[in-house]
Amino acid sequence: MSSGGQCIAPHSNVRGLAGGRRIERNLLSLAALYTLAGMMALYLSMPTARSLQAVFAGLATAAAFLLVHFYWKTSGYKGDRILLPITAVFASTGMVFLFRLNPSYGMRQFIWILIGLGILVLTSRLLVDFRFLSDYKYIYALVGLIFLILPIFFGKEQGGAKSWLDFGLFQFQPSEFVKILVVLFLASFLSENRAVLTAGTRTLGGISLPGPQEWVPLVVMWGISLLILVFQRDLGTALIYFGTFLAMVYVATARIFYVLFGMGLFMAGASASYYLFEHVRERVVIWLNPWPFIDNIGYQITQSLFAIGSGGFLGTGLGQGYPDYIPLVHSDFIFSAICEEMGLLGGAGIIVLFMIFVFRGIKIALNARDEFAALAASGLTALFGLQAFIIIAGVTKMLPLTGVTLPFISYGGSSLVANFILLGLLLNISHEADDSI
Amino acid sequence: MKQNIKKLGILIIGLLSILVLYLSYLNVIRGAALTANPYNRRFQEYEAQVRRGTISDINGIVLARNDNSGEVNKRVYPKGHETAHLLGYVSERYGRAGLESVCDRYLLGMEGADRVRNFINKLLGREQLGGDVTLTIDAYLQGMAMDLLDDRRGAVVILDPRTGAVRVMASNPSYDPNKLDDLWPQLVSDGASPLINRATQGAYPPGSTFKIITAAGALAAKPDIAGKTFNCPGFLDVNGYRLNDTAVHGNVDLVEAIAVSCNTTFAQLGLDQGAQNFIRTVKAFGIEKDPGIGIPVRPGTTASVNMMIPTELASSAIGQGEVLVSPLHMALAAAAVAQRGEIMSPYLIETVKDSMGEVLYQGTGKHWLSATTPEFSGIIKDGMVGAVRFGTATAAAVPGYQVAGKTGSAQNPHGQTHAWFIGFAPADQPRLAVAVIMENAGSGGSVAAPAAGRLLSAALNRGY
Repeated sequence: MSSGGQCIAPHSNVRGLAGGRRIERNLLSLAALYTLAGMMALYLSMPTARSLQAVFAGLATAAAFLLVHFYWKTSGYKGDRILLPITAVFASTGMVFLFRLNPSYGMRQFIWILIGLGILVLTSRLLVDFRFLSDYKYIYALVGLIFLILPIFFGKEQGGAKSWLDFGLFQFQPSEFVKILVVLFLASFLSENRAVLTAGTRTLGGISLPGPQEWVPLVVMWGISLLILVFQRDLGTALIYFGTFLAMVYVATARIFYVLFGMGLFMAGASASYYLFEHVRERVVIWLNPWPFIDNIGYQITQSLFAIGSGGFLGTGLGQGYPDYIPLVHSDFIFSAICEEMGLLGGAGIIVLFMIFVFRGIKIALNARDEFAALAASGLTALFGLQAFIIIAGVTKMLPLTGVTLPFISYGGSSLVANFILLGLLLNISHEADDSI
Repeated sequence: MKQNIKKLGILIIGLLSILVLYLSYLNVIRGAALTANPYNRRFQEYEAQVRRGTISDINGIVLARNDNSGEVNKRVYPKGHETAHLLGYVSERYGRAGLESVCDRYLLGMEGADRVRNFINKLLGREQLGGDVTLTIDAYLQGMAMDLLDDRRGAVVILDPRTGAVRVMASNPSYDPNKLDDLWPQLVSDGASPLINRATQGAYPPGSTFKIITAAGALAAKPDIAGKTFNCPGFLDVNGYRLNDTAVHGNVDLVEAIAVSCNTTFAQLGLDQGAQNFIRTVKAFGIEKDPGIGIPVRPGTTASVNMMIPTELASSAIGQGEVLVSPLHMALAAAAVAQRGEIMSPYLIETVKDSMGEVLYQGTGKHWLSATTPEFSGIIKDGMVGAVRFGTATAAAVPGYQVAGKTGSAQNPHGQTHAWFIGFAPADQPRLAVAVIMENAGSGGSVAAPAAGRLLSAALNRGY
């Protein structure tokens, strides 16, 4: 059986002048059909000039993704072949639903996708030798901190979180970008100090610990970012930072003690904020039982549950449901709209695509050429996967709701562009690994 | 480090798999409850876009239709109060009830080919159509029953014992469902409970009509009583309590005892057969079951076997004590005697057609229960024929047809006796079984029996 499997060489492994990107092209063509089907369905249910725009946006998006593919193919880029098609499906699902919910959001999302793709190409071009990034870790730490602090003074509150900078024409959410800086900082720092962190230089009560010069910068970095996020009330982002931080420390050191210690700290922090902050308490109360608060604070989550529960197996069909009942459906709650109109099958399909994305990310980390690259790839993958998990678990009421975007699908330029950069970095790491063979 | 990365990957993919499981749970297990939650406005939204189908009687007379002349879809009930309990209502404010609620998915075109058709209609911006429901009810007879009840509280049920098709289901006092939203506050506070469907939800002492069940139980326990003679001195002493009869009936056999409705004989027959046998027979007649006609039914109740002390058993045997039943259940008991001991499942929906006239559902006779044997039901039938010929129920006679019947005058804490009549016609080949109750109206023989006679006469003349 296994020898038979080897005979059939997947297209992605065929390397030649074309760079072996045929599977990417084929998958992207499927994604293009998917996008067009969605846009046509929208157009047929509401044949107006506005929805004709959606069809053109769909065509242009599909073409833009294919264009990126052709550029990579001709330039001999060797990054992963599966991630871009998955991203195309995510982005077009989001765009189709945004056109369906509110065409002006759809139009803006379309433009942001094009900008994101441009930045993806730039990332794959300018940061292809990403290794230089490991040299400036304290600069990111500083830049990241400044970016996080800015909204506290100049920020604009939106959806309870004060994490936005308003530039008039568009708003900018620095924490989306700082996430990536945090991963790069940690990857660089951990790869440098891995040995010491793993073995420790002294023991305390039978547990070996590294010296303060190794762990203090880590904890300070983590603590400050967390505190700032608590002040910005952006709990979801705090949770993601935290999860990513623990994941990377574990990958670098394999010491479950750090993870347990970190989780203990987190529990302590969570309990403290439960008693300190009204908005945290509220989140927990409506998570435990939203039904008594259906008219006020529990409204959003119960409407989300109605949407998910009413979709059935195949959904009501695009444009046939009532996801508009959910406040903020275009950003944090877009997954509920997908579940209502594309059903359990559509919702589960999106989650499975996230699984495949994570799987490819882990594969990239495993094949990475050195520790910095491996740590960066695992960190970026963890960041991406956890974010999807946290928001989907939130809108389905499996976990308390913490407002974060669903990567590539939710409305929002900052989130989209940041995720395209994340994708670009992952692809660069795989390009380097592939190149070295 | 590779091991650690793999573990991290397994963890994240594992978390996402849990999400898929949880999402399936929400959708498959919680889905129905979430869809039906009154706070979920989706159903109303859908409803507002669909032209709800009509409900008509067996002859095609419209009982409920949509009036599309105004801005909003208004539901119109041409027969007003006559069919209010049966059809129920659809109100944005007060929810839905009755057959309107039972047939919701059909009327809104959510079943069969209408599902696909309406999906396409919606895509093309055309009107979405619901299916139509035809009932087994005869609107003329239904109206006549309501007229006969007049201003009395009470109920009438008429059904076909051969199939279980219900022809009349009337309950009074009623209300005008066309003005439900205005009337509602008054309806819920009214002491006469006009929202209750007395035909199915009424809990009445059945009085002497229950003797047919006591007789069936006695025959099952001791078949030889068929030929026995009983002596009625006008009273019966049970454990020191004296049960007075309405008259001194002297020497009567079982058939005569039914015909003249002898309390002494039936109290004794109840005691002789024992509590367990009595309760078993009550159950065999389906008194304590919900026959499942879609709309709410209150199953009958009796004292439990271990609470059946002799005085309770003797009173229960003549339909007093703690026995409480609905008119529907008593009509089914009469149907059992008519149909050689077999009861067919009652049903209200004759056919359901989708918006293109395609039949989606066809009501048919289905066997429900075996209440008693053909032999015993024959003996009881003879008694019921006797009651109409020369006994308590002579007022139910219909010229040209032999009616079988049993009256009841049920004592109750609210004043005059409830007047009961149950029966069937024609006695030799029964096509109609009936139960009539008029609350606090006096004796069954003088009030309920004539009303039943007129209804049976009209129904037989209409070809049922």
